[in-house]
Amino acid sequence: MSALELSHVSKTFGGLSAVKDVSFRVPAGSIFGVIGPNGAGKTTVFNLVTGVYRADPGGSLRMGDVDLGAKKPAEIAAAGVARTFQNIRLFAKLSVLENVLVACETKRATGLLSAALRTAGFLDDEAALRERALELLRVFDLHALADHAPTSLSYGNQRRLEIARAMMLRPRVLLLDEPAAGMNYGEAEGLEAQIRWLRDEFELTVVLVEHNMQVVMGVCERIHVLDHGESIAEGTPDEVRRDPSVIAAYLGDEAAEDE
Amino acid sequence: MRGARSLAPFAVFAAVALALELSLPRVVADSSVRQLLMLGGVNVLIALSLNVINGMAGQFSIGQAGFVGVGAYASAVVVANLQARFPGDLSLARSLWLVPLGVLSGASASALFGVLVGLPSLRLRGDYLAIVTLGFAEIFRLLISTAAATDTGGLTSLLAKLGGQNGYAGPNELGVPQIAGPFWVFFAVMSVTLLALRLKFSGWGRALRALREDEIAAAAVGVDPTRYKVTSFVISAFGAGLAGGLLSIMRDGSPITQPDNFSFQTSFDAITMVILGGSGSVSGSILGAIFVTFTIKLIELLQSTDAVQAIKASHEWLDLNALRMVVYAGVLIAVMILRPEGLLGERELFQRGARGR
Repeated sequence: MSALELSHVSKTFGGLSAVKDVSFRVPAGSIFGVIGPNGAGKTTVFNLVTGVYRADPGGSLRMGDVDLGAKKPAEIAAAGVARTFQNIRLFAKLSVLENVLVACETKRATGLLSAALRTAGFLDDEAALRERALELLRVFDLHALADHAPTSLSYGNQRRLEIARAMMLRPRVLLLDEPAAGMNYGEAEGLEAQIRWLRDEFELTVVLVEHNMQVVMGVCERIHVLDHGESIAEGTPDEVRRDPSVIAAYLGDEAAEDE
Repeated sequence: MRGARSLAPFAVFAAVALALELSLPRVVADSSVRQLLMLGGVNVLIALSLNVINGMAGQFSIGQAGFVGVGAYASAVVVANLQARFPGDLSLARSLWLVPLGVLSGASASALFGVLVGLPSLRLRGDYLAIVTLGFAEIFRLLISTAAATDTGGLTSLLAKLGGQNGYAGPNELGVPQIAGPFWVFFAVMSVTLLALRLKFSGWGRALRALREDEIAAAAVGVDPTRYKVTSFVISAFGAGLAGGLLSIMRDGSPITQPDNFSFQTSFDAITMVILGGSGSVSGSILGAIFVTFTIKLIELLQSTDAVQAIKASHEWLDLNALRMVVYAGVLIAVMILRPEGLLGERELFQRGARGR
């Protein structure tokens, strides 16, 4: 069973090919890494999966039996694909709690009219969602900061808040774009444990793009390697680490020959 | 029980508004002052409606007068025709059905145009969107003021029935019934204020503010930009149409609905109110609306004093109405320098907790 399946996905910007004929399957319930040198097209793959970019015709992007290729970003999110961003995108003028609460609008049972009239249904709904948001903040150790502005948070906390916000969607697939960027050794180690815990607790599939090899090798069960927009390898961390084409991509051809 | 409690405030508002309806003519003898108070109320409604687009959704609309105008004309036509068909005293009892019919048809007609203007907002941002909204308002005003009856009939003839440049005065030119008293104006002000606060602090308002902060991130958590942007335009247009609907049938107001009341000047006044008070703040919009209403009146009063009249007589070129623009400009520049976020920023007066509710 694959939670996410890309087959022959390509994306060109003008004449530039950012992603070329990429195919991979992410097994359900796994922690899957997408790695590659700078400019390999990792974030573009995320943007294609979440609908920020529309893939070139020909390939297909699926989550189980849901075709993601034809959907808009908000629909993809509602279908259960949540993500974080490489360059943290929080809502600056909303509080930490409100940032998380925004992500539950698609799950709300009551509409705008009941909000205007403050019906009992609306109030129950709101109380339940708020409770869940606070619970998620507790999970990420942010509950004490619920009323703070997200801009006042440390870098690591901002990253964690983004994950909490993504989790509010109750996703089936969680895409993490460089979650360890800017974290120190200890924080990164904590992140590994958190990612595993998330996967087990919420029965998620996690896909991460990451430069921090400590995190990638430590947490991923399978890794897909991209270089210049093309797939060059896939396997377990050990297989990938030993793959000559991966070494060549990261360190140059000569290094691969020396190996 | 809680369901009933959610409606309770409106009952209180109705009672307060009724008290105002009965006491205002006795407390305030001067009808022009009463008119000013009610005009202030209508301006509060306009500012609150614009605040949804300019403040909460963070889009720049400079055509709010168009929405107010659509509402004003629709309401005037409905009320004047109903009054002509079913004549009677302009009593409070009569207003209980006539005013809601007029005001709601004004608000609904305006909301339809909200969809129309809201759709381009999906592709346009900033200045470009501003031009679309301004274009809509001006096209509406000019269509009405230049429409002349033709032999062939058609849309122009239909529009000509609205009186062209001279304004609309009902089917028999008897004037639009001035039936909406203080009860309706203040009931609307209180109710709309509460609804605006509730929307701002609901999930919808939160999503709208999130969209303003970062569209890509908002979409990534399921907030559909299309739906929210168009809804914000529709709600804003509905509110402006409601204000216009009251304006054209307001007691002590003008029995003729004129196209020039909905010129760019009106839109600009609305923007001044929202920006002065603080974009996104409900109480700020209210304060801004009150400030602007009374500055206009203050300058009018100044003009009628003997000293100013004497200056005016000796300097014929002096246009004191233009002074108002000088005052606004000065105040706006001062606010932008001292408090770029407006009087209240996005906060509310008497807000509980840091960002609670």
